[in-house]
Amino acid sequence: MSGTQERVGTTPAIEGLKQALRRLPGVGPKGAQRMALHLLERDREGARQIADALQHALGKVVHCQRCNNLTEQELCAICSSPRRDHSQLCIVESPADLIALEQAGVYQGLYFVLMGHLSPLDGIGPEELGIPRVEALFNEGSVKELILATNLTVEGEATAHYVGELARSRKIRTTRIAYGVPVGGELEYVDQGTLARAFSGRRET
Amino acid sequence: MRVSQQPAYILHHYSYGETSLLLEVFTRTYGRLGLLAKGARRLHLRQRPLLEPFQPLLISWTGKGELPVLSGTELVGDSVFLQGPILYCAFYMNELLIRLLHRHDSHELLFDAYGSALRALQSQSSAEVTLRVFEKRLLQEIGYGLVLENEMTDNAPIDPARVYRYVINRGPVRVTSGDNVEDLDHAVTIQGSTLLALAKESLGDVTVLQETKALMRAALGHHLAGRPLNTRKLFRNIKHTPFDERD
Repeated sequence: MSGTQERVGTTPAIEGLKQALRRLPGVGPKGAQRMALHLLERDREGARQIADALQHALGKVVHCQRCNNLTEQELCAICSSPRRDHSQLCIVESPADLIALEQAGVYQGLYFVLMGHLSPLDGIGPEELGIPRVEALFNEGSVKELILATNLTVEGEATAHYVGELARSRKIRTTRIAYGVPVGGELEYVDQGTLARAFSGRRET
Repeated sequence: MRVSQQPAYILHHYSYGETSLLLEVFTRTYGRLGLLAKGARRLHLRQRPLLEPFQPLLISWTGKGELPVLSGTELVGDSVFLQGPILYCAFYMNELLIRLLHRHDSHELLFDAYGSALRALQSQSSAEVTLRVFEKRLLQEIGYGLVLENEMTDNAPIDPARVYRYVINRGPVRVTSGDNVEDLDHAVTIQGSTLLALAKESLGDVTVLQETKALMRAALGHHLAGRPLNTRKLFRNIKHTPFDERD
């Protein structure tokens, strides 16, 4: 490859597309080039579909007014479902966490998606995470139990504690998901930190 | 360059690309440095907890220049588990270290002080006392140690029964009756007994603790050059923490 400005065999439009594709997670320069050439060379119909789908989704998808998750309505399917238990509220960090919990199929209550966690050193505080909206939900009075399902990282712990305090000060029952040995896990291969917490969190059988 | 098995704590981490982490670590011998943990976000469950802040680790890395690459992590001793308000205190200490230490400056005593502070926090000792002692040792280690036993002007020993004005970055001055003793940014009014208690790191008394807090805040504020700490800003509205400004 020569160091000249104009590269042979490509055009400004192709370069623009490559740059745009590189915004996708996990896509580097090589991958972006492969995708761009594939779409332009072999699958122009597919390219049109992607462009339309992106346009459509951008116009349609918004944050749920209640739980902050992504939705196409004012309220998402979970928040507007009469079958969900409105007395339980579960705090998660991301839409992916919510999907994981839904797939586990154990929870029938509502959620609030923070879209992140408290990160004191980066200046990400309660306001940036929409925690005042969680307080507003508490103040409505229908929440009887708060379930803290943030990640088990130090930032996730700090976030859980912060939201938990807000609930406790309003006398709302507050629980944190348990930590421990994964299903199918052998003790020998579990890290010390996890094992220590699994042990201290043991319960009667 | 290959460096192995260095006592270290992780202070903070940032995502780097899709799968890696950029670590800010504090090592005993090599001071504060940045390390790239390649593929760390894909690590198996067994290794991932070792890249969390506050754990006493032995770490190894290779490469020199701006960004060496992490090549091994091991836990030494027991894993540290901090919860609730003490977790905020630990974040606060990390922010102080990141803001006030230059990279690659070795601070072995401070490293040990940090380790004891974390253990003290975990053992439910008074968080206020723990933080003040840590702050005092931090200032000492970075070359701005407080003058606590003698007066700035004539080097006279501090009298526990007298009142002083501590001029930040210089030292204590006797207050004589009739002096205007308002607290300014660069000077804090403080009892002689508090100065001596801080020198001995024996901060049990409530007045001592309050005066020490004001002194430390002014001294650290001076070195933070007017850029407030995020941790203090974020946690000042939380009740029952050392950052609660309503008490």
